[in-house]
Amino acid sequence: MEEPPLREEEEEEEEEEEGDEAGPEGALGKSPFQLTAEDVYDISYVMGRELMALGSDPRVTQLQFKIVRVLEMLETLVNEGSLTAEELRMERDNLRKEVEGLRRGASAASPEVSLGPDKMVVDLTDPNRPRFTLQELRDVLQERNKLKSQLLVVQEELQSYKSGLIPPREGPGRREKDVLVARTSNASSDKEEKTIIRKLFSFRSGKQT
Amino acid sequence: MAKKTYDLLFKLLLIGDSGVGKTCVLFRFSDDAFNTTFISTIGIDFKIKTVELQGKKIKLQIWDTAGQERFHTITTSYYRGAMGIMLVYDITNGKSFENISKWLRNIDEHANEDVERMLLGNKCDMDDKRVVPKGKGEQIAREHGIRFFETSAKANINIEKAFLTLAEDILRKTPVKEPNSENVDISSGGGVTGWKSKCC
Repeated sequence: MEEPPLREEEEEEEEEEEGDEAGPEGALGKSPFQLTAEDVYDISYVMGRELMALGSDPRVTQLQFKIVRVLEMLETLVNEGSLTAEELRMERDNLRKEVEGLRRGASAASPEVSLGPDKMVVDLTDPNRPRFTLQELRDVLQERNKLKSQLLVVQEELQSYKSGLIPPREGPGRREKDVLVARTSNASSDKEEKTIIRKLFSFRSGKQT
Repeated sequence: MAKKTYDLLFKLLLIGDSGVGKTCVLFRFSDDAFNTTFISTIGIDFKIKTVELQGKKIKLQIWDTAGQERFHTITTSYYRGAMGIMLVYDITNGKSFENISKWLRNIDEHANEDVERMLLGNKCDMDDKRVVPKGKGEQIAREHGIRFFETSAKANINIEKAFLTLAEDILRKTPVKEPNSENVDISSGGGVTGWKSKCC
């Protein structure tokens, strides 16, 4: 809503500059609201020159005093007008800055506004920011403690074996090997045993084939 | 499976403000060592020590808790399974002593009703920095009907005595029976609440 008239004003300001370039006569073609003290002096120059051209008739001199007086009045009004315009312009600029600041503050503050008293802001660029939930920590600790207790059991068991407190377990593989060693040693010393075993072996192999 | 090398398993718990020396007290008892570097316990940890009392081999499973407020929801879930709880404060830290009443309330709220409690005033080697008189510790212990020791994990004062006394007090209350697999198998975690992986 505010923007279009502002832009118009700026354009008019540009026109004012153009008027200056047009020379002293240009001042007479300007909008009275754009008139400056300089323009009034230009007009005085133009009119003074024309009055001089009219010669030294006393009526002209009379008119000249009145014209000078009118131009002085115009000068005062233009000066006051431009001062007021300058003040208004400054006030407008200040208000514009203020609005901008408030707008920026509002957009920056809006996420904080939605935060309750128990909320926390996390800096996502902080490598040490909180990342894991309490439940995750709980789970990890439980697993750690479970593994630790299992390790202690295993260490204890290992110690028992090392100190000979528990005899080595008799596994099936071990028993077969023991028996086999016994058989071979017996075989070399006892002929009868050997034949019986051989019989057994040939019987078995015979059955297998 | 290996034969059980102990007759009974007692679960103990250490609680108290952050920095009072719970971990150091436990480390002195379990490993007979002391370390001055302060590393805050994360949540909950435990150590094992087997002792012999009245001809019985007793395995002590001692749970060491984080004193920091932010771990309380984790640590309080371990109160339920404890048979004995040691409340530790630091004799050079008045606040840690004031908070003992808070820790006692926590026990009332979260632990078993018949749990054996004990009060420890740790760092008693630092008498020049003492702010809590021994009498104040004795008084609050008397008011709650619990035992009290001043200890030093650093100078190894009363540490073993405190643990053995607590274990004896629990043993006295323990009905004489053959241990069943439930209360001796440490890998199961037994009655410790929150140890769900094995008990469910």
